[in-house]
Amino acid sequence: MMFDVLIRNGLVVDGSGEAGFAADVAVKDGRIAQIGRIDGPARQVIDAAGRVVAPGFIDPHTHFDVQLLWDGAARPALSHGVTSIVPGNCSLSLAPLRAADRPAVVGMFQQIEEMPPEAFTTAFDWTWEDFAGYRAAIERNLAINVAPLVGHSVIRQWVMGEAAQARAATPGEIAAMQDLLRECLQAGAVGLSTSFVDVDARGRPVPSRFAQFAELDALAAVLGEFGRMLQIVPEFYDTDLTIARIDQLAELSLRHGVPTTFSPVFDSASTPDNVPRTLARVEEQFARGARVWPQMQTRPIDISFSLLRPSLFFARLPSWIRVLRKPLDERIAALSDAETADRLVADVGPDGGARMMGELIVRGGDAAPTALAGRTLGEIAAERGESPARALITLSLEHGLDVAFLAANRGHDDTGRIGAMLAHPLVHIGASDGGAHLASFATYGDTGYLFSEFVRKAGALSLEQAVRKITADTADIWGFKDRGRLAPGLAADIVVFDPETIARGEERAVFDMPGDGMRYVRDAIGVDTVLVNGAVAYAGGAYTDARAGAVLA
Amino acid sequence: MSLSPQRRFVTPEPDESIEQLAERALPGEPVAAAVDRIKSWNLHIFAMRRPPGLLLGGDVVFVEPPRR
Repeated sequence: MMFDVLIRNGLVVDGSGEAGFAADVAVKDGRIAQIGRIDGPARQVIDAAGRVVAPGFIDPHTHFDVQLLWDGAARPALSHGVTSIVPGNCSLSLAPLRAADRPAVVGMFQQIEEMPPEAFTTAFDWTWEDFAGYRAAIERNLAINVAPLVGHSVIRQWVMGEAAQARAATPGEIAAMQDLLRECLQAGAVGLSTSFVDVDARGRPVPSRFAQFAELDALAAVLGEFGRMLQIVPEFYDTDLTIARIDQLAELSLRHGVPTTFSPVFDSASTPDNVPRTLARVEEQFARGARVWPQMQTRPIDISFSLLRPSLFFARLPSWIRVLRKPLDERIAALSDAETADRLVADVGPDGGARMMGELIVRGGDAAPTALAGRTLGEIAAERGESPARALITLSLEHGLDVAFLAANRGHDDTGRIGAMLAHPLVHIGASDGGAHLASFATYGDTGYLFSEFVRKAGALSLEQAVRKITADTADIWGFKDRGRLAPGLAADIVVFDPETIARGEERAVFDMPGDGMRYVRDAIGVDTVLVNGAVAYAGGAYTDARAGAVLA
Repeated sequence: MSLSPQRRFVTPEPDESIEQLAERALPGEPVAAAVDRIKSWNLHIFAMRRPPGLLLGGDVVFVEPPRR
């Protein structure tokens, strides 16, 4: 038999969690044809000596909904070995959505996911309204596999219009939402996402938050018809609230036979019992037979920002957000206005921002003087005789606002604690937020960081355990039946990587997005080759022209 | 496996006011006192939210203080 691809001499870590073994992997017609010692000819032979050959990684929490319309590889996710992604989280998706409702939902993406509105208006023709139309729009150009969720907020918006953000749904409206969800699931959605925390561009709770539990119960009943996932964003800042949501999810899981997942779950020195209490409740609910998967990210919380655009960093400072939302010239004028600046500084608190802003680091590489790069704002402020908040404003104004600051390690950064949590059998590794928060932090490379930080450095997981966590476990949780493992007959989603070097690169700014163009990314380190459905999609540090990605319906 | 006791909560009924919810959750207490107690146990609704006190259908409303 002539194989399409033959990967030779690698260490096969097949996703099962069992020890890796030396073998070749042959691919034919998009599927894994054989695993073992294989001599057959192949159109393409890849030498994987010294490398691991593993199932492609699966990222279960992303917001690539819009990027997929002009970038079917979800760059740079694919280069990190990610072969399948789940967009449509947090109650937001780009379908079903009437044309008249697009601005409101784009505003939600801007507010919640920090995505520039221009990304939704300049890079593609928005021709669809229903879910099948969105699927068709992204399917034309996919290099990566996509398993899209449909958002509860857009379903509510479709059925209720403006009332979606005003009141409970009537029985008739709930029935209409059920029908619409059913239509989306038939068109390829892999579940429903909802949110209990998010607000729109005007600061109003998103539509999903107005839903009674009975509405969610009715929608979960439809998910049960298909065995599909319910994803939620709980009030993650409060453990009691998170546990209440776990209990609600457990009831829905047991009642309708559906898997559920919630994210994010953060560890923090200020609330050290949060994750232990959360996981204890999850264990109790699993013991009852419920499926309530906590999603946890691998990376620490780092936030970068400048005053060129609104940022998550100012989430608790609405006066700053309001100023940063103004057009650039008006924003500069506002920041230059003494009264406004005084008010902004006062709003930070009586310490002038010493606690919140003193440890900020000037990133460099922009308009900031080179000599300031790497220094803390507290040091710089002291030299200038200003408070940190005042120095943030004046330093930024001196350089056209093009001065980026890094708030590093703001939580979830204790490798010893996080490693043990990630290794917990019920913790679902994910929550990357890939494709979102473009100007706040890079949402790419969490898989590389899993190996560099928690396998090689901390030894919290074995290589095989880490691979299983982001391949077979993820596929099983989500019901992706032919993904996540290397075995004959399964889809040939494969990553070839160097176990000694795989990591995430340094965070850097690039200008490849529509609109204002800027986002932070991390390049892949140690990833040699990525196959999606049997086609080489990434090799030798470059993307290929292959477009073998599929919607995982 | 039985579930360990956790902080008790209710969810709002359609168009339910905070006074109605307080009466339902804390029967037998004077309404004003019940409302005050509900507010004190739910700062995520009555202090952090804009506008404060906007009751949403999806809310978790605790009907007792934190257990720890």
